[in-house]
Amino acid sequence: MTILSVDSSAAAASAALTENGKILGEFYCNVGLTHSQTLMPMIHGLLTCTGVSLRSVDLFAVSAGPGSFTGIRIGIASVKGLAFPEDKPCVGVSTLEAIAQNLAHLSGTVCSVMDARCGQVYNAVFRAEGGALLRLTPDRAIPAENLAGECEKYQKPLFLVGDGAKLCYNMQSFQDAGAVLPPEPLIYQRASSVARAAAEAFASGKAVSPAALVPVYLRPAQAERALNKKRRSSLA
Amino acid sequence: MQQFITSSEAETEALGEKLAKKLKPGDVVALFGGMGMGKTALTRGIARGLGVTEGVSSPTFALVHEYEGRVPVYHFDMYRVENWDDLYSTGFFDYLASGGVLIVEWSENIENALPENAVCVRMSRRGGDNERSISVDGVTL
Repeated sequence: MTILSVDSSAAAASAALTENGKILGEFYCNVGLTHSQTLMPMIHGLLTCTGVSLRSVDLFAVSAGPGSFTGIRIGIASVKGLAFPEDKPCVGVSTLEAIAQNLAHLSGTVCSVMDARCGQVYNAVFRAEGGALLRLTPDRAIPAENLAGECEKYQKPLFLVGDGAKLCYNMQSFQDAGAVLPPEPLIYQRASSVARAAAEAFASGKAVSPAALVPVYLRPAQAERALNKKRRSSLA
Repeated sequence: MQQFITSSEAETEALGEKLAKKLKPGDVVALFGGMGMGKTALTRGIARGLGVTEGVSSPTFALVHEYEGRVPVYHFDMYRVENWDDLYSTGFFDYLASGGVLIVEWSENIENALPENAVCVRMSRRGGDNERSISVDGVTL
């Protein structure tokens, strides 16, 4: 099965083409949020370089969130557009799960974190064992400090991955919880990891039509903090 | 904090132009002050000072206008933004990370989401109809 996968959920963007688990090609670009300019050229270049036609792609995959509002929409819209003409199946995967795939080969706890700003992180925790991931929490948005406290109870080693990994790693509370940082190439979301997560989702019947593909926005748990300092009634 | 008095729209624009000289990519200028206080006039001046040549108007309906100057300029109007979801869906946090200059009208509505190093400009009426009192915090003019 040939999968074309994209990730534009944060500062970096990437596109990958895989065939039965083998990476045929992957483009990765980390030059800030310019995905509307870089993603399509990357996909085009990928298809050209690998000599694979769009028509022979069996499954389209994308990180559907959580993540940057603009980035997620660009990724979803791009995949919808590519899959729509021939009504090819699509899979939207959790960005956090895709990142965790980077460490599925290890044995330990994988804590995916993305910077949700204002002291919040998007997070999901997985147990990695025997090349597979077991999900321990749902995708959620929580204060980084709360997550640090929770991390103390998880089995060690506990690896931080995602664009919020370094942010958390540099906090004393995560140091106290014994968190470790994997090598740089394994920290961030990549389209090839999206493809791995998508292959599993496809196998368990979770593919949808291009029209049914939707972004997943997580509401940050800011309820205790008003956006407007004066208007305390706008807590929700 | 510095205090300025302007007595015309043109003077408010000139103050904006002066402020622009102190701005660098990634900076956020948070504007406070109600209707008719000169926020858009000040923004026009800042934009001109940043090399924007096209006309600047209030992004009340579009929420954000983008201008190409020496650095990209993103002009927000937060008048209708009421909660964190609203703010997230303006792309505000993406723009913050984009390396442009953000100018934010109605910053009152998003005060807790402003970066700590934001330049805060507070505008109010003073004396005559056209006279404005403008305080600038976070940068020295």
